[in-house]
Amino acid sequence: MKYILLDYVNESGWPELTREEQRHWLGAYLAYMEAMQEAGVLESSGGLQQTPTATTVRIRNEKTQVLDGPYADAKEQLGGFHIIEVPDLDAALSWAARSPTALHGVVEVRPMHDGTFLTEGISKYLKPE
Amino acid sequence: MEYMLLLYVDESGWPKLSKAEQEQGMAAYRAYTEALKKAGVFKSGSQLAPSSSGKTIRLARGKQQVLDGPYADAKEQVGGYYLIETPDLESALSWAGRCPTVGHGAVEIRQLLR
Repeated sequence: MKYILLDYVNESGWPELTREEQRHWLGAYLAYMEAMQEAGVLESSGGLQQTPTATTVRIRNEKTQVLDGPYADAKEQLGGFHIIEVPDLDAALSWAARSPTALHGVVEVRPMHDGTFLTEGISKYLKPE
Repeated sequence: MEYMLLLYVDESGWPKLSKAEQEQGMAAYRAYTEALKKAGVFKSGSQLAPSSSGKTIRLARGKQQVLDGPYADAKEQVGGYYLIETPDLESALSWAGRCPTVGHGAVEIRQLLR
């Protein structure tokens, strides 16, 4: 099963750390990703630039609205993600618990659809006849 | 530049649609994905299972807390994402504006650190 681990972090925390502390956390993330790679579970990872650079787009009343900033005005924001392939939710949760993010933020674990209607047959996503 | 398009959707809307409307909705996403691929900007993308099937984990005072559900208790939840590669933010925004999600939810565009 494929899972995405969404790292929600308090963005204001990073600049307040000393250089030594920043080095420590970067090392912790590197070690975490290496551990997932060694276990053969890591499919991909990404870090996101902070939300002041985010933009949100929607269409309402046939007009496109483009707003600066993230969708949700929350204390913690999505800062990165890992996509892992593991046998079950328990295994995904145990990897999430080892994430450095769990120490200072929150990790949301979401099962991914096996396949997706973006690329595959759509019938299984429809209501039954 | 690499951008992540986060698709925020109202999950309660989907089951209320008729089968024909669901078909139409999925066709729109497929057409959008095809367009991204044809233009060579598509890197990856997926739907996520409903947020009710998700869990959140944090360590509070050395103790692990596992809670059911998503991090944010919001009307709209991340229902899927696309990773795209475009020359600049403007072009990422223009692709985001063509995503079917903008018609019923919202798309958040975030540049990746690389």
